[in-house]
Amino acid sequence: MRGRPLLYTSYQGDQALMNTTPKKILLGLFLLLLVTIPFQLIPSISFMGENDWLKLLSLAAIYAIGALGLNILTGLAGQVSLGHAFFMGLGAYTAAWLGAPPGPLAGLGLPMWIWLPAAGIVASLVGLAVGPTAVRVRGLYLAFVTLGLVFIGEYVWRNWTWLTGGTQSGREFPEFELRIWKEEEPLIDFSSDGSWFGIELTGEAKTYFLMLALLVAFVLFAKNIQRTRVGRAFQSIRDRDIAAEIMGVNEVKYKLQAFAISSFFAGVSGALLASFVGRTIPERWNLFLSVLFIAIVLIGGAGVVTGTLLGASFVILLPRIVEDVTEWLTEYVVEGTGIFVWLADLVVVSGPDDWGIINISQGFGPGLSVALFNQVIYGLLIIGFLIFEPLGLYGIWLRIRNYWKGWPFTY
Amino acid sequence: MRIKSKWLGILLTMGLVLAACSPSSGDETTTTEGEATATTEGSTDTTEGSTDTTEGSTEIATDVGVDLEAGTIDIGLLSDLSGGFAGLVTPIVTGHEVYWESVNADGGIEGLTVNLNIQDTGYVVDNHVQKYEEMKDSVVALGHSTGSPHTVAINDQLQEDGILAIPLTWYSGWTDPALNANLLHHGSSYCVEAQNVIQWLTEQMEDISTIGIVSVGGDYGLDSAAGAVLAAEGLGLEVVVDLAGGISDEASILAAADQIAEASPDLVWMTLIPSITSALFGQALANGYQGIWAGAGPSFSPAFVAPDSPIKDAVTASMYFGFYLEGWTGTSAGTEAAKELLLGAGRDIAPFDYYLEGVLEAEMMHQILQAAYDAGDMTQAGVLKAAKAFEDMGFDGLGPNESFVGDPNAQLQRETWVMKPDPDGLVAGTSGGAAIAEAAYVGSLVEAFDFTGACYVLGS
Amino acid sequence: MIPELLILAQETADPSRFANMVVDGLSLGTIYALLAVGFVIIFKATQVLNFAHGALAALGAFFVASYATIVDIPGRWMPDSPDWLVWALAVLIALITMALLGAALERVFLRPMVGEELFALAIITLGLDIVLRSITNDFIAPLDRPMGDPFGLGILDLGWVTIPHTQILQMIVAVVAVTAIAFFFRSRMGIAMRATAFDQEAARAQGISVGRVFSLSWAIGAVLAAIAGIFISVFPRRAAGVGPSTAFFAFAAFPAIIIGGLDSVVGAIVGGLIVGLAEAGASSYLRFEFLGTGFGGVVPWLLMMVILLVRPYGLFGTEEIRRV
Repeated sequence: MRGRPLLYTSYQGDQALMNTTPKKILLGLFLLLLVTIPFQLIPSISFMGENDWLKLLSLAAIYAIGALGLNILTGLAGQVSLGHAFFMGLGAYTAAWLGAPPGPLAGLGLPMWIWLPAAGIVASLVGLAVGPTAVRVRGLYLAFVTLGLVFIGEYVWRNWTWLTGGTQSGREFPEFELRIWKEEEPLIDFSSDGSWFGIELTGEAKTYFLMLALLVAFVLFAKNIQRTRVGRAFQSIRDRDIAAEIMGVNEVKYKLQAFAISSFFAGVSGALLASFVGRTIPERWNLFLSVLFIAIVLIGGAGVVTGTLLGASFVILLPRIVEDVTEWLTEYVVEGTGIFVWLADLVVVSGPDDWGIINISQGFGPGLSVALFNQVIYGLLIIGFLIFEPLGLYGIWLRIRNYWKGWPFTY
Repeated sequence: MRIKSKWLGILLTMGLVLAACSPSSGDETTTTEGEATATTEGSTDTTEGSTDTTEGSTEIATDVGVDLEAGTIDIGLLSDLSGGFAGLVTPIVTGHEVYWESVNADGGIEGLTVNLNIQDTGYVVDNHVQKYEEMKDSVVALGHSTGSPHTVAINDQLQEDGILAIPLTWYSGWTDPALNANLLHHGSSYCVEAQNVIQWLTEQMEDISTIGIVSVGGDYGLDSAAGAVLAAEGLGLEVVVDLAGGISDEASILAAADQIAEASPDLVWMTLIPSITSALFGQALANGYQGIWAGAGPSFSPAFVAPDSPIKDAVTASMYFGFYLEGWTGTSAGTEAAKELLLGAGRDIAPFDYYLEGVLEAEMMHQILQAAYDAGDMTQAGVLKAAKAFEDMGFDGLGPNESFVGDPNAQLQRETWVMKPDPDGLVAGTSGGAAIAEAAYVGSLVEAFDFTGACYVLGS
Repeated sequence: MIPELLILAQETADPSRFANMVVDGLSLGTIYALLAVGFVIIFKATQVLNFAHGALAALGAFFVASYATIVDIPGRWMPDSPDWLVWALAVLIALITMALLGAALERVFLRPMVGEELFALAIITLGLDIVLRSITNDFIAPLDRPMGDPFGLGILDLGWVTIPHTQILQMIVAVVAVTAIAFFFRSRMGIAMRATAFDQEAARAQGISVGRVFSLSWAIGAVLAAIAGIFISVFPRRAAGVGPSTAFFAFAAFPAIIIGGLDSVVGAIVGGLIVGLAEAGASSYLRFEFLGTGFGGVVPWLLMMVILLVRPYGLFGTEEIRRV
């Protein structure tokens, strides 16, 4: 009925992903916006159409895919896992083994439509193998068991130099090119400049579209899981696992499924990440990567798909924003006009006798270097966020939405 | 608390949005990316020198990184300022900065001011590749690229993009024509260095018959280890501990220390990161090992012989390492001039060999850019071409002369400086913790060495 | 496989190697135990997984290095005193600094989050770890800082086994620290801490200042971490001193914490020793080709997984009572 958005007259309506018209419209507009970013149509955000921002957005999409998996496992099913980096590495090296051209390191040269799903499937199978431990071990202990996986993984990647290239060196990963079967010229080449349907696009833009398409697919998958029987089983296990078992929810089966699904996401995300970066060392799949994903899920809002997307964008775009702000500040110090000069001067160390927080020269002066300052701000913002808004970005969004929903009676 | 946090959360988000939309961060991505970042110290004081470029400008071809109207040249540096070699690379970068500051003060290169775009890779290959991709469209050449595996990782792309890079690594592959189209070797490679230093030691000390080899993984560690194996074969030494590529974490250091103490080789050849060197040395010493330690230059750090260091005396008595130029205790005209430059720069500079490496690299780039200017082609490709035309690039003794033309055996740099730790010099300020034990040494092995390719190649 | 097993059997029979391995294992184990106990005390009292523990260890070591060698406090006021006394005082001052810092960190970053989800708290400590490590590395960089300790290269050589003096001190200090903690837990404040760990609300109802307990637990945890940090940074483990890699040492202590049980101090000690011995044993004896490098570092994690399969809450951890 019009004017009564929350009145559902059918089960489909209640369960629909887009259950209100404003949601449909906004989602449509948002998708339109995302698709047109590379064409730089809107002036105020046209800078996002630049190649390096497109790369950041693609990277955010890749991390979002991985984080969606972790969200299902940790946010939905309540199984705390610090092992995400291991499954990503597994997916990446499976992709490398299958998809990289034959050479000094392992590679079979198979096309992308084989190596990408295979990365997910192999990771998923290993996730299934890990699953039974999750049934035995609970809570924080499970977190550390999965953490152990990461360290064991690091040991394996370090020593299987025929596959990974060995410590410090690393290896190349397959390009984003769609072939039918090992031809010379790929059917669709996502990584170099070219034209699609007559429109000139850079390689970064094409990769961006690919990532966007994959992200949409995975978001649909994740959202659907949430509203099916499997998703409900996950949530019941998270909330009250004994009660769930009594009601007939088979704990073992669903925990295994949770691990399998989450590892699939992780494997695909890992393969995409490695191919996107192009070359990576085995040390990359470490504790900090796992923790990055936990941070994304928590900062975004655990258990909520939208939250995960917000979290991924925040965590990936944040360092770039901090870098830009620092550069902006250092430029102000150098050029010296306007009201922000005093702030910039306070913060930046520009000469041997100046005092401040950021030191832009390489000499051994006071203050942090730009890179370190970025790190510190990054850490502080993560802390600040979690202290002031424990529900994460989604929580903030909810507040804003509820404020306007009840306006003008928001008290 | 609740109400406050809500507003705080909204403020935080707005702050971030504002930062993202702030005027210059929006503009700066569309103009020149690399130009205004980091160390603009040199350029801000000396823009006066750039006004008289109009004379030659119509004849000089440029594409990226050289702006004749603005009067600037942009050089990129891919450095390790926060990773395992930060202690060695930070002074190198300072050396570059000091050199270009003084050149810019004298009018730059034919009136063009040189700016440095310094990026920190943290000695991680992924970051290295990423930073390279970010800077390749805004610099005319790379003043240095830190790390053997890192430079190998960007080598294909360098060739595709046609950009010159000076590797800040001494991997033997840089003399291989199959690999070095865009790279300029300088200084003896790890492979040659290992052979030279080991041979020198066997000549100086009579009773060396067994050798142990320890190194980290990657092209740095394994290239040097390959050189040590060649030396062992050539000199008839028995390899009793072979941990090439075998050092990665705490447990492996412990295991290595145990093995070294048990097998007790007369000489241990190491290719490590300084923090690992100190841990391994200390633990082997604690396990009773009393032999000679020798290693590739970057394995050593003056922290080992600092006044408070517990291993100061032990290191001084038993450690040697190779180096690629004269270092601070050298007396050639080039070295003296560089030292004067560094000490007079108004920065807090204490003697340290690696500042000189920075000056050397900067001098290389200076000569190259000058040659490119003279040839009228300062495009990326033009600079590369000019660089590769040098048959005898000299530095007045600061470092060995280099040739980039001709047969690899002719280009191969065979001179290595053998260094000893120098704690007294460190305290007195006459050295950076290391003194020359033998200058420009070429052993008979290296003399006869026939270069057929890099000593170590990935996948072999 | 057979030849390797034979060699292994032969090697095990060598008493000197075994003894050295035990010494290595105990010294590594006491460091892990110190880290684990600090971690567990913080966890027990405040329910926070402190991922910043490694950074605290590095920071503690850095304070000692700076008081002993860089700023020279209290050495500058005691030029004629024996070295060891000056160093001991420097360490004492550094530990006091760390205690205050630990309490301050808790007050500023973790107090506002009381009652929030456990993992959110853990991520905050992770953010703290990033911040603390970055700042510490900035001060230390670019070269490692020596500790300035008076032990130098002192090694006790008993012929069949060699023990560096620092490791002897380590074991003594570890025993002293553990005893002190045992006595502390019998004191008034200690009982208050145990009560808070058991049930926060009931403790509060009894008039215990929970906030003070939290701060105290963090202070103790920071001090223990600092002590461990000092021992990580002296000869022979890191002859050049404290550097950026010191902070990562603590991750190797996590298996120890889990093996012992997240909320058991006794378990932390036992777990630390087990892990130390396992790592030393593997590094010394399991040197087969096929194992590659760094197997010793993986052994604690494998051990942890095996133990968890048998005892899902660690050896001494309290089993969670699950109700519907």
